[in-house]
Amino acid sequence: MAEDNYPREDDALEEEEELDETTFKTVRDALLFAIEVSDSMLQPRPSADPKKSSQESPASAALKCAYHLMQQRIISNPHDMIGVLLYGTKLSKFYDEDENSRGDLSYPNCYLFTDLDIPSAHEVLELRSLVEDEDKAHEILVPSEEQVSMANVLFCANQIFTSKAPNFLSRRLFIVTDNDNPHQSKKSLRSAATVRAKDLYDLGVIIELFPISQLDHEFDTSKFYDDIIYKASPMDPDAPAYLKPDSKTADSQDGISILNSLLSSINSRSVARRALFSNVSLELGPNFKISVSGYLLFKRQEPARSCYVWLGGEKPQIAKGVTTQIADDTARTIEKWEVRKAFKFGGDQVSFTPEELKGLRSFGDPTIRIIGFKPLSALPFWANVKHPLFIYPSEEDYVGSTRVFSALYQKLLKDQKVALVWYVARKTAGPVLAAMVAGEEKVDENGVQKFPPGLWILPLPFADDVRQNPESTLQVAPEPLIDQMRTIIQQLQLPKGGYEPAKYPNPSLQWHYRILQALALDEDLPEQPEDKTLPKYRQIDKRAGDYVLSWADELEKQYAKIPATSGVKTTLAKRPAKDTAAADKAAPPAKKAKPAVGGAADPQAEVQKHFQKGTLSKLTVAVLKDYLVSQGRSVAGKKADLVERVEELLETK
Amino acid sequence: MADKEATVYIVDVGKSMGQYRSGREVTDLEWAMQYVWDSITSTVATGRKTAMLGVIGLKTTNTSNELEDDPHFSNISVLSEIKQFLMPDLRQLGDEIKPSNTDKGDAISALILAIQMIITHCKKLKWKRKIVLITNAMGRMSGENLSDIVSKIQEDSIDLVILGPDFDDPDYGSKEEDKDPRKAENESLLRTVSEQCDGVFGTLEQAVSEMVIPRVKAVRPIASFKGFLQLGNPKDYDTAVRIPVERYPRTMVAKAPSASQFVQRSDMAAGQEDTGPSETVVGDQPEDGGSLTSVRNLRTYQVSDESAPGGKIEIERDDLAKGYEYGRTAVHISETDENITRLDTEAALELVGFIQSEKYDRYMHMSNTNIIIAQRPNDKASLALSSFIHALFELESYAVARLVTKENKPPLLVLLAPSIEPEYECLLEVQLPFAEDIRTYRFPPLDKVITVSGKIVTEHRNLPNDDLQAAMDNYVDSMELVDKDEDGDLVEAPFPIEDSFSPVVHRINAAIRSRAINPNEPIPPPAAILTQFSQPPQHLLESATQQLKKLIEVADVKKVPPKAKGRKRAREPEKPLSGLDVDALLSQEKRVRISPNNAIPEFKQTLAHAENIETTKDAVKQMRAIVEDQVKHSLGDANYDRVIEGLGVIREELISYEEPGLYNDFLRGLKEKILKEKLGGDRRELWWLLKRSKLGLIDQMQSELSDVTEEDAKAFLSAS
Repeated sequence: MAEDNYPREDDALEEEEELDETTFKTVRDALLFAIEVSDSMLQPRPSADPKKSSQESPASAALKCAYHLMQQRIISNPHDMIGVLLYGTKLSKFYDEDENSRGDLSYPNCYLFTDLDIPSAHEVLELRSLVEDEDKAHEILVPSEEQVSMANVLFCANQIFTSKAPNFLSRRLFIVTDNDNPHQSKKSLRSAATVRAKDLYDLGVIIELFPISQLDHEFDTSKFYDDIIYKASPMDPDAPAYLKPDSKTADSQDGISILNSLLSSINSRSVARRALFSNVSLELGPNFKISVSGYLLFKRQEPARSCYVWLGGEKPQIAKGVTTQIADDTARTIEKWEVRKAFKFGGDQVSFTPEELKGLRSFGDPTIRIIGFKPLSALPFWANVKHPLFIYPSEEDYVGSTRVFSALYQKLLKDQKVALVWYVARKTAGPVLAAMVAGEEKVDENGVQKFPPGLWILPLPFADDVRQNPESTLQVAPEPLIDQMRTIIQQLQLPKGGYEPAKYPNPSLQWHYRILQALALDEDLPEQPEDKTLPKYRQIDKRAGDYVLSWADELEKQYAKIPATSGVKTTLAKRPAKDTAAADKAAPPAKKAKPAVGGAADPQAEVQKHFQKGTLSKLTVAVLKDYLVSQGRSVAGKKADLVERVEELLETK
Repeated sequence: MADKEATVYIVDVGKSMGQYRSGREVTDLEWAMQYVWDSITSTVATGRKTAMLGVIGLKTTNTSNELEDDPHFSNISVLSEIKQFLMPDLRQLGDEIKPSNTDKGDAISALILAIQMIITHCKKLKWKRKIVLITNAMGRMSGENLSDIVSKIQEDSIDLVILGPDFDDPDYGSKEEDKDPRKAENESLLRTVSEQCDGVFGTLEQAVSEMVIPRVKAVRPIASFKGFLQLGNPKDYDTAVRIPVERYPRTMVAKAPSASQFVQRSDMAAGQEDTGPSETVVGDQPEDGGSLTSVRNLRTYQVSDESAPGGKIEIERDDLAKGYEYGRTAVHISETDENITRLDTEAALELVGFIQSEKYDRYMHMSNTNIIIAQRPNDKASLALSSFIHALFELESYAVARLVTKENKPPLLVLLAPSIEPEYECLLEVQLPFAEDIRTYRFPPLDKVITVSGKIVTEHRNLPNDDLQAAMDNYVDSMELVDKDEDGDLVEAPFPIEDSFSPVVHRINAAIRSRAINPNEPIPPPAAILTQFSQPPQHLLESATQQLKKLIEVADVKKVPPKAKGRKRAREPEKPLSGLDVDALLSQEKRVRISPNNAIPEFKQTLAHAENIETTKDAVKQMRAIVEDQVKHSLGDANYDRVIEGLGVIREELISYEEPGLYNDFLRGLKEKILKEKLGGDRRELWWLLKRSKLGLIDQMQSELSDVTEEDAKAFLSAS
């Protein structure tokens, strides 16, 4: 019986998401926030800008980050876990233990606010109320009078990871604190903490520190945390040695900037690093190899597929699908070893043994082999088929890989060159030709890395993948018209003249989860989606409106000069505006003059007219469709559907 | 829809075609059939019902055609009428194509028959008509009424292809010495026919040699969006502009045919119908195809219910509602609200803003590419779009736009770049990443090293020194891909896209065709043309030999011997940033026994400090007790992940401490206990998990010190 891991497994997670199965670990991530609660953490930091009064304290900023990350991970990592542990609190809570339990507390002054798990709607709500509801905050966010033992905090985290996230490939503890020296002179407590930190390291837990400077002094990691945090990551020996905390986090003084820099710093670490492949050889020439690891830094994030829910129980439950394979002739259940693969050919099957089939796809061991070099400018814009792959050197197989890689990277960057490479990702993946380009490191305004330095592999199309351009007749625009358009374009530059992905969340993905969240939390449905991808219409009108009108004038002039070809008219450019002043300048679109329209040049006015008379159904399907297309609406369905859709459109106007 | 096609192949199967000529290793007929099979199987592979073909045998022993009473048409047999060819037809044809025992039979008469077949079949309808004649041009041929034939071929616009072994073809440069005078005469007759009706006349050698060049399937362009390129919002602003445009794919990855799943039909299968449990492994199934039945997937649904036996109950598909997961919470969506999570959108290509092309990083390309052209035919739209394209070009800018291809489809952000060719202007379009599409993994800089204390170092073993950088610069420069033009001057070569063919697509297609005709032969190796770009060009390597040698020398890269990987004994214990010796603290703590709730760290630490084998053995013994206890007290599968993690760690540690035997003994014991149900009942699921996690015996491949062979390890896992 083939039992699914997740309900989604058989949707063939895209082939390349498969990681090499050399590890016994489950490829999941568990992330536990440990947020210190103390007087200074709870002290709101006034904003430097007197206009913005804010009550943001370091603790509330940290909780907001946790809340933000929790929501984000529901979308991006639906199978990964997150939890929130508060420490230094007056209250204590650890599973069924609290102040009221009998006996001693195992972890005094540790408050496990959100258990480490895939978050549920309830937990999202709880965390939000801690962030937003002051009463709740006053109840829980009360600092203890006694110093909490860091050893105890670390062991508490250890136990949470051990029991809740066993066998996870990645387990991370995010510590947010402003106390750089928790056990100032108590040597025994310090040593205990370092021992517990080593335990975490040996368990495979990575500790990441998000330090917040206090008003009177900067956070100094050498006082305590340098004994707690390890250089290399225990799970990913290739991971680059320790990265410095982002400089600005430590320097921020006011609440808002603490929040922002924390957000950007935490976001940049929100995803556990997973290599697509490790230690593949990069062949620079015959007998000259170094080793690299590959990472997918760009991957289209899709909403999770719908699933089946069982409503017969106490609360809705997701039904797990189990697939059994049966033979078509007798409907008997079949075992995996019985299955043969065959291709349909000429009404019959042509079959191959599994070994033959594998052999067909095999073109040698995984490798990235440099074939030669070319200038970057020779790489056509259109020569692309999918998202890129990022590679970075690893010393695991070849000592010295990093320096060679660095030399290659610097050369390609300096001379703006690309390497043509023959790239076999996995043994049976099928080779591709790709362009390998160097990408410089980019950092954001908080000094946090946005894009890492390294080489990118951009798969090129084969001849088979290139489609021919459809025929079309060309009218080359004359200079005056181009000049007008140039002015328009110059008016509408994006900030800094570049594309900044972080500024554009995927509107349909966000909306999907926004609605799910509302349904899950039993909230009112939001009315308006926030869609950052919509153009800023008002600005466009303000900045470029006049230029657009004069371009439209010019277009009319130039168009008049073209000898009429083949009698086909045009629909163009300017919409017949409500206001005639502008519409007069640009001729109303004259759609392919259908006889049925009775000579009316403007289909839109025609549709409007029929709408008012209630005779829309007298229009032909072609006219209705044209109209709907011009409004960006669907043209699916029968005539009655089209009429209904047009009515709907005009009614709402 | 592709056009309907009708092709008639005329194959000369005369006795003389069975001979080996000009030092070839195949007979003329076998040689000719290489070409014919390739053409026919390409047609069959399309699976199109409207791609039909017929076959006529020329110089057959018998006579079988509609004019068989006429002596002019003797020794000609219609082997197959015009129809869609399927596998049985291929097999039958394979049986029929054999050298006959005669050299009689007139090629021109066969041509007349072929024309007749096409006329009968296609009538006056729209078909692509084609006749392929392959003959060695031996034997008698009558040149009567040639003009009638030619005019008929022209009238019905039939493509005529005439090929033959050792035909003279000055264009290809082939000329047969001491040609038989009759063959020469016949060749010139056939050439005349071919020339008169604009046909192709060539030598078989050329046709066969061109077979290896993969045929690229042309796909008719289909618009994926027809709508408006908009600037501004025409609903609210009078200054908005709309240009009607169409969008077509520019690149789209060609997919190899995919295999379907089949099983042996039950009446053919060696096993019985009610197959027993999976343990009965049968290895000797009959291996021939043709007796297969397809596999269907049956999906059932389960939910957990603690009161039910096994903790799960099965639910009918009809009793389930649709929904989504929000974290751990199941969100149910009623049928009426089906589209509630869908963002309402209107189809359009809306301009968001413009960017400098030099500020764009090419690696942000997320997808295949498309082109945007003006609506056809619409001169005004073409004019308007042209001004946009030229303006972008002159400003060295790209446009960022929001694309919704159909109403209520999710919006995409795309980048638009101008493309201006002498006869063609368009916008090139590619998808851009959204915020969620970017995973921020962080990596240290490559041109400097930052130490723990925050110092920036520029000389380091991970950074190239000046020598290495210079050697790399020289090597890269010497490996520049250039072409030679007609004058022998070096010129910039374009990226090899047009003559690079998808290896997997063409390999699989070729293998299917080969297997279809020769079911019992091994698959031929991939055509050389498919791997032409798998190695740097030889001439380039030769000219860069010195530079490469120098580079290897100064780079001083050393391969890590496989054994040294992961070996722990020699390694330094990991230390925190401060370099504090935590181990010293640990040994002060005197952890005597491994505590079950902190087992993994304490096990690792015990091994790290073990001074003798007894300590290690004892640690493993303790872990064994802990793991077995976890299994025994596991409610259902509750503890299994912990058990797997524990076993995995023990295994890894013992491999690196070179004590594979300790793990193997432990695992053997565990297996026995699991199978004998001594650890709290039926724990076979755990054993299955263990297999999947590859936690079997440590074999000799993994540790040299192991006494378990790879096969034994495999057998140990499967025998349950």
